[in-house]
Amino acid sequence: MLKTLVYLNADLASSIALRYACQMSKIVEMRLETIHVEEPGVEEQSPGTGWVRQTWETALLKTGEEEIAQLIQAEKPLCPPLPATKMFLGNREEKILQELQKERYDLFLEGTLYSFTSSNFYEKIRSRLFRDASCPFIFVKNLMGLTRIALLFGRGMDHFSVASSFLRIFGKAEVDVDLLYYDFPRNGATPPMEKDAEETLSAARNLLSNQGRAWKECRVIQENPEAVGDLFKNYGLVVSSVQHVMNGRSPLTELLHRIPSPIFLARRERLQGQGR
Amino acid sequence: MHILISVDQNPYSACAVDEAARLAENTLANVTLLGVGAGKNGKDETGGGAPKRGKDPNPLPDILRKYRESFLGRLGDETSPEASKEFLYEPVELNRGILEELRVGHSARKSLKTRMRPGNPVKAILAEAREDDSDLIILGCSKEKMCAWEGGMKVPEKVVNDAPCSVLVVKAEEEVSKMVCCLDQDKTTQESLEMINQMVTLHKADLEIVGITQGKGLKADVEKKMDSILRYYVERQINPCIKLVPLGSLESFISEEARRSLLALWMGEKSVLEKVFPRRKVNRLIQAAECSVLMLR
Repeated sequence: MLKTLVYLNADLASSIALRYACQMSKIVEMRLETIHVEEPGVEEQSPGTGWVRQTWETALLKTGEEEIAQLIQAEKPLCPPLPATKMFLGNREEKILQELQKERYDLFLEGTLYSFTSSNFYEKIRSRLFRDASCPFIFVKNLMGLTRIALLFGRGMDHFSVASSFLRIFGKAEVDVDLLYYDFPRNGATPPMEKDAEETLSAARNLLSNQGRAWKECRVIQENPEAVGDLFKNYGLVVSSVQHVMNGRSPLTELLHRIPSPIFLARRERLQGQGR
Repeated sequence: MHILISVDQNPYSACAVDEAARLAENTLANVTLLGVGAGKNGKDETGGGAPKRGKDPNPLPDILRKYRESFLGRLGDETSPEASKEFLYEPVELNRGILEELRVGHSARKSLKTRMRPGNPVKAILAEAREDDSDLIILGCSKEKMCAWEGGMKVPEKVVNDAPCSVLVVKAEEEVSKMVCCLDQDKTTQESLEMINQMVTLHKADLEIVGITQGKGLKADVEKKMDSILRYYVERQINPCIKLVPLGSLESFISEEARRSLLALWMGEKSVLEKVFPRRKVNRLIQAAECSVLMLR
Protein backbone atom coordinates (compact mmCIF):
# COMPACT_ATOMS: atom_id res chain seq x y z
CA MET A 1 0.00 0.00 0.00
CA LEU A 2 1.28 3.45 -0.93
CA LYS A 3 2.30 5.72 1.90
CA THR A 4 1.17 9.28 1.36
CA LEU A 5 1.98 12.28 3.50
CA VAL A 6 -0.23 15.38 3.40
CA TYR A 7 1.01 18.65 4.81
CA LEU A 8 -1.64 20.53 6.77
CA ASN A 9 -1.87 24.07 7.95
CA ALA A 10 -4.98 25.77 9.27
CA ASP A 11 -5.76 27.35 5.89
CA LEU A 12 -7.80 27.02 2.71
CA ALA A 13 -4.97 25.48 0.68
CA SER A 14 -4.61 22.63 3.19
CA SER A 15 -8.35 22.13 3.39
CA ILE A 16 -8.45 21.68 -0.39
CA ALA A 17 -5.36 19.43 -0.34
CA LEU A 18 -6.87 17.18 2.30
CA ARG A 19 -10.16 16.90 0.42
CA TYR A 20 -8.24 16.06 -2.74
CA ALA A 21 -6.10 13.44 -0.96
CA CYS A 22 -9.22 11.82 0.49
CA GLN A 23 -10.82 11.76 -2.94
CA MET A 24 -7.64 10.22 -4.35
CA SER A 25 -7.64 7.51 -1.69
CA LYS A 26 -10.92 6.27 -3.17
CA ILE A 27 -9.27 5.35 -6.47
CA VAL A 28 -5.76 4.52 -5.29
CA GLU A 29 -5.01 2.12 -2.49
CA MET A 30 -3.07 4.32 -0.10
CA ARG A 31 -2.49 5.07 3.54
CA LEU A 32 -2.92 8.75 4.26
CA GLU A 33 -0.92 10.42 6.97
CA THR A 34 -0.89 14.08 7.87
CA ILE A 35 1.83 16.34 9.19
CA HIS A 36 1.92 19.86 10.59
CA VAL A 37 4.93 21.92 11.56
CA GLU A 38 4.45 24.83 13.90
CA GLU A 39 6.97 27.48 12.97
CA PRO A 40 7.61 30.01 15.72
CA GLY A 41 7.65 33.55 14.38
CA VAL A 42 10.52 35.93 15.12
CA GLU A 43 8.56 37.40 18.03
CA GLU A 44 7.80 33.92 19.33
CA GLN A 45 11.36 32.74 19.88
CA SER A 46 11.85 30.43 22.84
CA PRO A 47 11.70 32.35 26.11
CA GLY A 48 14.34 30.23 27.85
CA THR A 49 15.63 26.73 28.50
CA GLY A 50 14.57 23.65 30.46
CA TRP A 51 10.97 23.41 31.61
CA VAL A 52 10.24 27.00 30.57
CA ARG A 53 11.14 26.16 27.01
CA GLN A 54 9.28 22.86 27.17
CA THR A 55 6.09 24.52 28.45
CA TRP A 56 6.33 27.16 25.74
CA GLU A 57 6.78 24.49 23.04
CA THR A 58 3.89 22.43 24.36
CA ALA A 59 1.60 25.48 24.34
CA LEU A 60 2.58 26.33 20.75
CA LEU A 61 1.99 22.76 19.56
CA LYS A 62 -1.32 22.58 21.42
CA THR A 63 -2.63 25.63 19.53
CA GLY A 64 -1.57 24.16 16.20
CA GLU A 65 -3.02 20.78 17.13
CA GLU A 66 -6.44 22.29 17.87
CA GLU A 67 -6.51 24.16 14.56
CA ILE A 68 -5.54 21.07 12.56
CA ALA A 69 -8.08 18.95 14.45
CA GLN A 70 -10.79 21.44 13.41
CA LEU A 71 -9.68 21.25 9.79
CA ILE A 72 -9.71 17.44 9.80
CA GLN A 73 -13.08 17.40 11.54
CA ALA A 74 -14.55 19.54 8.72
CA GLU A 75 -13.36 17.03 6.11
CA LYS A 76 -14.24 13.92 8.12
CA PRO A 77 -17.36 12.95 6.14
CA LEU A 78 -15.29 12.79 2.93
CA CYS A 79 -12.18 11.11 4.31
CA PRO A 80 -11.13 7.63 5.42
CA PRO A 81 -10.13 7.32 9.10
CA LEU A 82 -6.88 9.22 9.50
CA PRO A 83 -4.15 8.53 12.04
CA ALA A 84 -3.26 11.38 14.40
CA THR A 85 -1.48 14.27 12.70
CA LYS A 86 2.27 14.28 13.24
CA MET A 87 3.05 17.55 14.98
CA PHE A 88 6.48 19.18 14.96
CA LEU A 89 7.93 22.45 16.09
CA GLY A 90 10.69 24.11 14.11
CA ASN A 91 11.68 24.71 10.51
CA ARG A 92 8.88 23.46 8.25
CA GLU A 93 11.00 22.24 5.33
CA GLU A 94 13.56 20.58 7.55
CA LYS A 95 10.97 18.68 9.60
CA ILE A 96 9.01 17.51 6.55
CA LEU A 97 12.22 16.35 4.84
CA GLN A 98 13.23 14.39 7.93
CA GLU A 99 9.82 12.75 8.07
CA LEU A 100 9.81 11.90 4.35
CA GLN A 101 13.25 10.31 4.65
CA LYS A 102 12.57 8.50 7.90
CA GLU A 103 9.25 6.95 6.90
CA ARG A 104 10.02 6.50 3.18
CA TYR A 105 6.78 7.91 1.85
CA ASP A 106 5.76 7.22 -1.74
CA LEU A 107 4.03 10.55 -2.25
CA PHE A 108 3.81 14.00 -0.68
CA LEU A 109 0.82 16.33 -1.10
CA GLU A 110 0.66 19.99 -0.31
CA GLY A 111 -1.97 22.67 -0.96
CA THR A 112 -0.71 25.56 -3.09
CA LEU A 113 -3.47 27.85 -4.24
CA TYR A 114 -3.57 28.65 -7.94
CA SER A 115 -2.22 32.13 -8.48
CA PHE A 116 -2.16 34.75 -11.22
CA THR A 117 1.46 35.51 -10.39
CA SER A 118 4.12 32.84 -10.65
CA SER A 119 6.39 33.68 -7.71
CA ASN A 120 4.76 31.24 -5.30
CA PHE A 121 4.96 28.33 -7.73
CA TYR A 122 8.64 28.99 -8.52
CA GLU A 123 9.36 29.37 -4.81
CA LYS A 124 7.89 25.90 -4.26
CA ILE A 125 9.84 24.15 -7.01
CA ARG A 126 13.09 25.86 -6.02
CA SER A 127 12.65 25.10 -2.32
CA ARG A 128 15.02 22.85 -0.45
CA LEU A 129 12.09 20.63 0.47
CA PHE A 130 11.24 19.96 -3.15
CA ARG A 131 14.86 19.67 -4.32
CA ASP A 132 15.98 17.27 -1.59
CA ALA A 133 12.94 15.05 -1.20
CA SER A 134 13.04 11.68 -2.90
CA CYS A 135 9.35 11.05 -3.50
CA PRO A 136 7.06 12.74 -6.04
CA PHE A 137 5.07 15.80 -4.97
CA ILE A 138 1.52 16.82 -5.74
CA PHE A 139 0.88 20.54 -5.49
CA VAL A 140 -2.89 20.76 -5.06
CA LYS A 141 -4.00 24.04 -6.57
CA ASN A 142 -7.71 23.34 -6.80
CA LEU A 143 -10.18 20.64 -5.97
CA MET A 144 -10.75 18.76 -9.22
CA GLY A 145 -12.56 15.50 -9.91
CA LEU A 146 -10.02 12.73 -10.49
CA THR A 147 -11.44 11.12 -13.60
CA ARG A 148 -8.92 12.25 -16.18
CA ILE A 149 -5.15 12.59 -15.90
CA ALA A 150 -2.68 14.19 -18.33
CA LEU A 151 0.91 13.06 -18.63
CA LEU A 152 2.68 16.19 -19.79
CA PHE A 153 6.08 15.75 -21.44
CA GLY A 154 8.48 18.33 -22.77
CA ARG A 155 11.83 18.76 -24.40
CA GLY A 156 14.73 17.37 -22.39
CA MET A 157 12.41 15.78 -19.86
CA ASP A 158 13.04 12.31 -18.49
CA HIS A 159 9.88 10.78 -19.91
CA PHE A 160 10.60 7.41 -18.32
CA SER A 161 10.41 8.91 -14.81
CA VAL A 162 7.15 10.70 -15.55
CA ALA A 163 5.44 7.64 -17.01
CA SER A 164 6.77 5.20 -14.43
CA SER A 165 5.92 7.50 -11.48
CA PHE A 166 2.40 7.75 -12.82
CA LEU A 167 2.17 3.99 -13.26
CA ARG A 168 3.47 3.28 -9.77
CA ILE A 169 0.83 5.49 -8.14
CA PHE A 170 -2.10 5.25 -10.56
CA GLY A 171 -1.30 1.95 -12.32
CA LYS A 172 -4.57 0.33 -11.27
CA ALA A 173 -6.73 3.43 -10.89
CA GLU A 174 -9.78 3.78 -13.09
CA VAL A 175 -8.99 7.08 -14.75
CA ASP A 176 -8.68 8.23 -18.35
CA VAL A 177 -5.16 9.10 -19.41
CA ASP A 178 -3.99 11.55 -22.07
CA LEU A 179 -0.40 11.80 -23.31
CA LEU A 180 0.66 15.33 -24.16
CA TYR A 181 3.92 16.83 -25.36
CA TYR A 182 4.44 20.54 -24.86
CA ASP A 183 6.94 22.80 -26.50
CA PHE A 184 6.77 26.47 -27.24
CA PRO A 185 9.45 28.24 -29.24
CA ARG A 186 11.33 30.94 -27.37
CA ASN A 187 11.78 34.25 -29.18
CA GLY A 188 9.55 33.07 -31.99
CA ALA A 189 12.05 30.46 -33.27
CA THR A 190 10.61 27.20 -34.54
CA PRO A 191 12.34 24.38 -32.74
CA PRO A 192 13.14 21.10 -34.44
CA MET A 193 11.01 19.25 -31.91
CA GLU A 194 8.92 16.90 -34.05
CA LYS A 195 11.39 14.04 -33.69
CA ASP A 196 11.72 14.42 -29.91
CA ALA A 197 7.95 14.68 -29.47
CA GLU A 198 7.37 11.61 -31.61
CA GLU A 199 10.00 9.56 -29.78
CA THR A 200 8.84 10.67 -26.32
CA LEU A 201 5.18 9.99 -26.95
CA SER A 202 5.98 6.64 -28.56
CA ALA A 203 8.13 5.61 -25.57
CA ALA A 204 5.37 6.69 -23.17
CA ARG A 205 2.78 4.71 -25.11
CA ASN A 206 5.02 1.65 -24.92
CA LEU A 207 5.50 2.02 -21.17
CA LEU A 208 1.77 2.31 -20.62
CA SER A 209 0.99 -0.57 -22.97
CA ASN A 210 3.46 -2.81 -21.15
CA GLN A 211 1.50 -2.18 -17.97
CA GLY A 212 -1.80 -2.83 -19.70
CA ARG A 213 -2.90 0.79 -19.57
CA ALA A 214 -4.71 2.48 -22.39
CA TRP A 215 -4.65 6.20 -23.22
CA LYS A 216 -7.35 8.34 -24.74
CA GLU A 217 -5.55 11.16 -26.46
CA CYS A 218 -1.95 11.58 -27.60
CA ARG A 219 -0.93 14.94 -29.03
CA VAL A 220 1.56 17.77 -29.24
CA ILE A 221 0.72 21.24 -27.90
CA GLN A 222 2.66 24.18 -29.32
CA GLU A 223 1.03 27.31 -28.01
CA ASN A 224 1.82 30.15 -25.71
CA PRO A 225 1.51 29.08 -22.00
CA GLU A 226 -0.99 31.89 -21.40
CA ALA A 227 -3.25 30.53 -24.09
CA VAL A 228 -3.22 26.87 -23.08
CA GLY A 229 -3.22 26.88 -19.27
CA ASP A 230 -7.01 26.87 -19.16
CA LEU A 231 -7.20 23.89 -21.53
CA PHE A 232 -6.00 21.72 -18.67
CA LYS A 233 -8.89 22.60 -16.36
CA ASN A 234 -10.68 19.35 -17.12
CA TYR A 235 -7.80 17.27 -15.82
CA GLY A 236 -7.97 16.09 -12.24
CA LEU A 237 -4.17 15.85 -12.26
CA VAL A 238 -1.31 16.81 -14.57
CA VAL A 239 1.76 14.59 -14.21
CA SER A 240 5.07 16.10 -15.30
CA SER A 241 8.61 16.85 -14.18
CA VAL A 242 10.71 19.96 -13.68
CA GLN A 243 13.98 18.37 -12.65
CA HIS A 244 15.61 19.23 -15.97
CA VAL A 245 14.72 22.93 -15.60
CA MET A 246 14.70 23.26 -11.84
CA ASN A 247 16.85 26.37 -11.70
CA GLY A 248 15.41 28.25 -14.58
CA ARG A 249 12.17 29.34 -16.09
CA SER A 250 11.01 27.59 -19.20
CA PRO A 251 7.82 27.60 -21.25
CA LEU A 252 6.98 24.28 -19.57
CA THR A 253 7.34 25.59 -16.00
CA GLU A 254 5.40 28.67 -17.04
CA LEU A 255 2.66 26.39 -18.34
CA LEU A 256 2.71 24.32 -15.14
CA HIS A 257 2.20 27.52 -13.16
CA ARG A 258 -0.75 28.46 -15.36
CA ILE A 259 -2.53 25.11 -15.06
CA PRO A 260 -5.35 25.35 -12.50
CA SER A 261 -5.35 21.59 -11.79
CA PRO A 262 -3.21 19.78 -9.23
CA ILE A 263 0.33 19.14 -10.50
CA PHE A 264 2.20 15.89 -9.89
CA LEU A 265 5.95 16.37 -10.20
CA ALA A 266 7.86 13.16 -10.72
CA ARG A 267 11.38 12.28 -9.58
CA ARG A 268 14.14 10.78 -11.64
CA GLU A 269 13.83 6.99 -11.56
CA ARG A 270 16.10 4.14 -12.54
CA LEU A 271 15.40 2.58 -15.90
CA GLN A 272 15.22 -0.97 -14.55
CA GLY A 273 12.07 -1.96 -12.73
CA GLN A 274 9.11 0.15 -11.77
CA GLY A 275 9.46 0.02 -7.98
CA ARG A 276 12.01 1.63 -5.71
CA MET B 1 -36.00 38.16 -8.00
CA HIS B 2 -36.93 41.11 -10.20
CA ILE B 3 -35.17 41.56 -13.53
CA LEU B 4 -35.33 44.76 -15.53
CA ILE B 5 -34.46 44.32 -19.22
CA SER B 6 -33.65 47.66 -20.82
CA VAL B 7 -33.93 47.75 -24.59
CA ASP B 8 -33.83 50.15 -27.48
CA GLN B 9 -34.37 49.50 -31.15
CA ASN B 10 -30.88 48.16 -31.89
CA PRO B 11 -29.84 44.52 -32.45
CA TYR B 12 -27.68 44.36 -29.30
CA SER B 13 -30.89 44.61 -27.25
CA ALA B 14 -32.04 41.30 -28.71
CA CYS B 15 -29.02 39.63 -27.08
CA ALA B 16 -29.99 41.17 -23.73
CA VAL B 17 -33.55 39.87 -24.07
CA ASP B 18 -32.26 36.41 -24.92
CA GLU B 19 -29.90 36.35 -21.93
CA ALA B 20 -32.65 37.63 -19.62
CA ALA B 21 -35.04 34.93 -20.81
CA ARG B 22 -32.51 32.23 -20.00
CA LEU B 23 -31.98 33.67 -16.55
CA ALA B 24 -35.69 34.20 -15.93
CA GLU B 25 -36.39 30.62 -16.96
CA ASN B 26 -34.04 29.36 -14.27
CA THR B 27 -35.06 31.75 -11.52
CA LEU B 28 -38.79 32.22 -12.23
CA ALA B 29 -38.16 35.93 -11.85
CA ASN B 30 -40.56 38.83 -12.21
CA VAL B 31 -39.53 40.62 -15.36
CA THR B 32 -40.01 44.16 -16.66
CA LEU B 33 -39.20 44.78 -20.28
CA LEU B 34 -38.45 48.47 -20.54
CA GLY B 35 -38.23 50.26 -23.84
CA VAL B 36 -36.17 53.45 -23.76
CA GLY B 37 -34.74 55.90 -26.21
CA ALA B 38 -37.70 57.18 -28.22
CA GLY B 39 -39.89 60.15 -27.35
CA LYS B 40 -43.66 60.26 -27.16
CA ASN B 41 -43.96 61.44 -30.73
CA GLY B 42 -41.40 59.24 -32.28
CA LYS B 43 -38.50 61.54 -31.48
CA ASP B 44 -35.38 59.49 -31.08
CA GLU B 45 -33.92 60.44 -27.70
CA THR B 46 -30.68 58.62 -28.27
CA GLY B 47 -29.67 61.08 -30.94
CA GLY B 48 -29.97 58.61 -33.77
CA GLY B 49 -31.30 61.17 -36.24
CA ALA B 50 -34.20 63.59 -36.48
CA PRO B 51 -37.69 62.10 -36.86
CA LYS B 52 -39.69 62.70 -40.01
CA ARG B 53 -42.81 64.56 -39.03
CA GLY B 54 -45.92 62.42 -39.22
CA LYS B 55 -44.19 59.60 -41.09
CA ASP B 56 -42.00 58.13 -38.39
CA PRO B 57 -44.14 56.83 -35.58
CA ASN B 58 -42.49 55.69 -32.40
CA PRO B 59 -40.86 52.34 -33.29
CA LEU B 60 -40.62 51.18 -29.68
CA PRO B 61 -44.10 49.65 -29.27
CA ASP B 62 -43.51 47.36 -32.22
CA ILE B 63 -40.02 46.50 -31.07
CA LEU B 64 -41.20 45.82 -27.54
CA ARG B 65 -43.90 43.51 -28.87
CA LYS B 66 -41.27 41.67 -30.86
CA TYR B 67 -38.95 41.34 -27.86
CA ARG B 68 -41.88 40.24 -25.69
CA GLU B 69 -42.72 37.46 -28.13
CA SER B 70 -39.08 36.47 -28.39
CA PHE B 71 -38.81 36.41 -24.57
CA LEU B 72 -41.93 34.27 -24.18
CA GLY B 73 -40.91 32.02 -27.06
CA ARG B 74 -37.61 31.37 -25.37
CA LEU B 75 -39.35 30.39 -22.11
CA GLY B 76 -41.80 27.96 -23.67
CA ASP B 77 -45.29 27.31 -22.37
CA GLU B 78 -44.38 25.70 -19.09
CA THR B 79 -42.32 28.56 -17.73
CA SER B 80 -44.11 31.40 -19.44
CA PRO B 81 -45.66 34.01 -17.15
CA GLU B 82 -48.66 33.83 -19.44
CA ALA B 83 -49.19 30.13 -18.89
CA SER B 84 -52.79 29.28 -18.11
CA LYS B 85 -53.85 29.74 -14.53
CA GLU B 86 -55.46 27.21 -12.29
CA PHE B 87 -58.63 28.45 -10.51
CA LEU B 88 -59.43 27.08 -7.04
CA TYR B 89 -61.95 27.99 -4.33
CA GLU B 90 -60.33 29.29 -1.20
CA PRO B 91 -61.32 31.44 1.79
CA VAL B 92 -60.35 35.08 1.36
CA GLU B 93 -60.65 37.65 4.16
CA LEU B 94 -62.85 40.47 2.84
CA ASN B 95 -63.40 42.33 6.11
CA ARG B 96 -61.79 41.78 9.46
CA GLY B 97 -62.92 38.36 10.64
CA ILE B 98 -65.17 37.73 7.65
CA LEU B 99 -64.03 35.18 5.15
CA GLU B 100 -65.62 34.42 1.87
CA GLU B 101 -64.87 31.48 -0.35
CA LEU B 102 -63.82 32.85 -3.69
CA ARG B 103 -62.53 31.39 -6.90
CA VAL B 104 -58.90 32.44 -7.05
CA GLY B 105 -56.58 32.08 -10.02
CA HIS B 106 -53.13 30.72 -9.25
CA SER B 107 -50.03 30.67 -11.33
CA ALA B 108 -46.61 29.52 -10.32
CA ARG B 109 -45.27 31.91 -12.91
CA LYS B 110 -44.20 35.41 -12.16
CA SER B 111 -45.18 38.59 -13.96
CA LEU B 112 -43.91 40.06 -17.19
CA LYS B 113 -44.51 43.79 -17.60
CA THR B 114 -43.78 45.72 -20.76
CA ARG B 115 -43.16 49.42 -20.33
CA MET B 116 -41.86 52.43 -22.22
CA ARG B 117 -40.19 55.46 -20.73
CA PRO B 118 -39.46 58.31 -23.05
CA GLY B 119 -36.62 60.70 -22.40
CA ASN B 120 -33.02 60.19 -21.44
CA PRO B 121 -32.40 56.41 -21.47
CA VAL B 122 -30.04 56.41 -18.48
CA LYS B 123 -32.44 58.37 -16.28
CA ALA B 124 -35.33 56.22 -17.48
CA ILE B 125 -33.57 52.95 -16.66
CA LEU B 126 -32.37 54.12 -13.25
CA ALA B 127 -35.81 55.51 -12.35
CA GLU B 128 -37.52 52.29 -13.37
CA ALA B 129 -35.00 50.20 -11.39
CA ARG B 130 -35.61 52.27 -8.26
CA GLU B 131 -39.38 52.41 -8.56
CA ASP B 132 -39.68 48.74 -9.45
CA ASP B 133 -37.15 47.66 -6.82
CA SER B 134 -35.18 45.68 -9.41
CA ASP B 135 -32.52 43.20 -8.35
CA LEU B 136 -30.84 43.04 -11.72
CA ILE B 137 -30.74 45.30 -14.77
CA ILE B 138 -29.86 43.58 -18.03
CA LEU B 139 -28.89 45.61 -21.08
CA GLY B 140 -26.98 44.89 -24.24
CA CYS B 141 -24.37 46.73 -26.22
CA SER B 142 -22.25 46.30 -29.27
CA LYS B 143 -18.57 45.38 -29.10
CA GLU B 144 -17.85 47.35 -32.23
CA LYS B 145 -18.90 50.70 -30.81
CA MET B 146 -17.03 50.46 -27.49
CA CYS B 147 -20.32 49.50 -25.88
CA ALA B 148 -21.98 52.81 -26.69
CA TRP B 149 -25.66 52.91 -27.57
CA GLU B 150 -27.11 54.51 -30.65
CA GLY B 151 -25.81 58.04 -31.11
CA GLY B 152 -22.70 57.36 -29.02
CA MET B 153 -24.52 57.54 -25.67
CA LYS B 154 -22.63 55.65 -22.99
CA VAL B 155 -25.78 54.16 -21.53
CA PRO B 156 -24.30 50.88 -20.17
CA GLU B 157 -21.39 52.63 -18.45
CA LYS B 158 -23.63 55.19 -16.79
CA VAL B 159 -26.16 52.60 -15.70
CA VAL B 160 -23.42 50.37 -14.27
CA ASN B 161 -21.98 53.26 -12.28
CA ASP B 162 -25.22 54.64 -10.87
CA ALA B 163 -27.57 51.67 -10.60
CA PRO B 164 -28.93 50.78 -7.16
CA CYS B 165 -28.70 47.06 -8.00
CA SER B 166 -26.64 44.56 -9.98
CA VAL B 167 -26.18 45.16 -13.70
CA LEU B 168 -25.43 42.66 -16.46
CA VAL B 169 -24.04 44.18 -19.66
CA VAL B 170 -24.51 41.62 -22.42
CA LYS B 171 -21.83 42.01 -25.02
CA ALA B 172 -22.57 39.43 -27.63
CA GLU B 173 -24.32 36.21 -28.42
CA GLU B 174 -21.09 34.29 -27.95
CA GLU B 175 -21.36 31.31 -25.64
CA VAL B 176 -19.82 31.91 -22.23
CA SER B 177 -17.46 29.10 -21.26
CA LYS B 178 -15.93 30.63 -18.14
CA MET B 179 -17.14 33.03 -15.49
CA VAL B 180 -14.55 34.82 -13.38
CA CYS B 181 -15.81 36.35 -10.15
CA CYS B 182 -13.91 38.96 -8.19
CA LEU B 183 -15.86 39.03 -4.97
CA ASP B 184 -15.33 40.97 -1.82
CA GLN B 185 -15.36 37.92 0.41
CA ASP B 186 -16.36 39.91 3.47
CA LYS B 187 -19.44 41.52 2.03
CA THR B 188 -20.67 39.48 -0.92
CA THR B 189 -24.33 38.67 -0.42
CA GLN B 190 -26.14 35.36 -0.68
CA GLU B 191 -28.17 36.81 -3.57
CA SER B 192 -24.97 37.51 -5.50
CA LEU B 193 -23.70 33.99 -4.95
CA GLU B 194 -27.02 32.65 -6.16
CA MET B 195 -26.97 34.91 -9.21
CA ILE B 196 -23.51 33.60 -10.09
CA ASN B 197 -24.79 30.06 -9.57
CA GLN B 198 -27.62 30.72 -12.03
CA MET B 199 -25.36 32.26 -14.65
CA VAL B 200 -22.85 29.42 -14.44
CA THR B 201 -25.60 26.81 -14.59
CA LEU B 202 -27.43 28.25 -17.54
CA HIS B 203 -24.25 28.70 -19.58
CA LYS B 204 -22.74 25.41 -18.37
CA ALA B 205 -19.66 27.51 -17.76
CA ASP B 206 -16.63 26.97 -15.54
CA LEU B 207 -16.47 29.12 -12.47
CA GLU B 208 -13.33 30.81 -11.20
CA ILE B 209 -13.41 32.64 -7.88
CA VAL B 210 -10.73 35.22 -7.35
CA GLY B 211 -9.18 35.82 -3.95
CA ILE B 212 -7.46 39.19 -3.77
CA THR B 213 -4.24 39.02 -1.82
CA GLN B 214 -2.42 41.80 -0.07
CA GLY B 215 1.08 40.94 1.02
CA LYS B 216 1.95 37.27 1.42
CA GLY B 217 -1.46 35.69 1.03
CA LEU B 218 -5.12 35.81 1.93
CA LYS B 219 -6.20 37.13 5.31
CA ALA B 220 -7.44 34.42 7.69
CA ASP B 221 -11.03 35.71 7.72
CA VAL B 222 -11.07 36.00 3.91
CA GLU B 223 -9.79 32.41 3.67
CA LYS B 224 -12.66 31.23 5.87
CA LYS B 225 -15.20 33.06 3.76
CA MET B 226 -13.67 31.69 0.55
CA ASP B 227 -13.81 28.21 2.00
CA SER B 228 -17.51 28.63 2.73
CA ILE B 229 -18.12 30.00 -0.81
CA LEU B 230 -16.25 26.99 -2.21
CA ARG B 231 -18.38 24.61 -0.15
CA TYR B 232 -21.55 26.47 -1.17
CA TYR B 233 -20.82 25.83 -4.85
CA VAL B 234 -19.51 22.29 -4.40
CA GLU B 235 -22.82 21.41 -2.69
CA ARG B 236 -24.54 22.66 -5.83
CA GLN B 237 -22.41 20.40 -8.03
CA ILE B 238 -20.34 23.33 -9.26
CA ASN B 239 -16.62 22.85 -8.81
CA PRO B 240 -15.14 26.31 -8.86
CA CYS B 241 -11.48 27.06 -9.33
CA ILE B 242 -9.89 29.38 -6.83
CA LYS B 243 -7.29 31.81 -8.10
CA LEU B 244 -5.24 34.24 -6.06
CA VAL B 245 -4.56 37.64 -7.54
CA PRO B 246 -2.37 40.20 -5.77
CA LEU B 247 -4.11 43.54 -5.43
CA GLY B 248 -1.37 45.19 -7.49
CA SER B 249 -1.97 42.82 -10.42
CA LEU B 250 -5.75 43.01 -10.31
CA GLU B 251 -6.11 45.45 -13.19
CA SER B 252 -3.92 43.44 -15.57
CA PHE B 253 -5.68 40.25 -14.48
CA ILE B 254 -9.10 41.75 -15.19
CA SER B 255 -8.09 43.10 -18.58
CA GLU B 256 -6.61 39.69 -19.50
CA GLU B 257 -9.73 37.82 -18.40
CA ALA B 258 -12.10 40.35 -20.03
CA ARG B 259 -10.92 39.02 -23.38
CA ARG B 260 -12.26 35.51 -22.81
CA SER B 261 -14.50 35.28 -19.73
CA LEU B 262 -17.71 36.65 -18.35
CA LEU B 263 -16.51 38.86 -15.53
CA ALA B 264 -18.47 39.36 -12.34
CA LEU B 265 -17.24 42.08 -10.01
CA TRP B 266 -18.64 42.78 -6.57
CA MET B 267 -18.98 46.56 -6.41
CA GLY B 268 -21.07 46.90 -3.29
CA GLU B 269 -20.58 49.77 -0.89
CA LYS B 270 -17.21 49.87 0.84
CA SER B 271 -15.96 46.92 -1.19
CA VAL B 272 -12.23 46.57 -1.84
CA LEU B 273 -12.94 46.48 -5.55
CA GLU B 274 -14.75 49.79 -5.45
CA LYS B 275 -11.61 51.32 -3.99
CA VAL B 276 -9.14 49.81 -6.46
CA PHE B 277 -11.47 49.90 -9.43
CA PRO B 278 -12.82 53.44 -9.69
CA ARG B 279 -15.37 54.63 -12.26
CA ARG B 280 -12.90 55.34 -15.05
CA LYS B 281 -11.52 51.80 -14.83
CA VAL B 282 -15.02 50.35 -14.74
CA ASN B 283 -15.88 52.41 -17.82
CA ARG B 284 -12.76 51.19 -19.60
CA LEU B 285 -13.66 47.61 -18.73
CA ILE B 286 -17.22 47.98 -20.03
CA GLN B 287 -15.88 49.49 -23.25
CA ALA B 288 -13.08 47.02 -23.88
CA ALA B 289 -14.41 43.68 -22.58
CA GLU B 290 -14.98 41.08 -25.27
CA CYS B 291 -17.49 39.22 -23.11
CA SER B 292 -20.38 40.23 -20.92
CA VAL B 293 -19.77 41.95 -17.59
CA LEU B 294 -21.80 41.49 -14.40
CA MET B 295 -21.50 44.17 -11.73
CA LEU B 296 -22.83 42.83 -8.47
CA ARG B 297 -24.22 44.96 -5.68
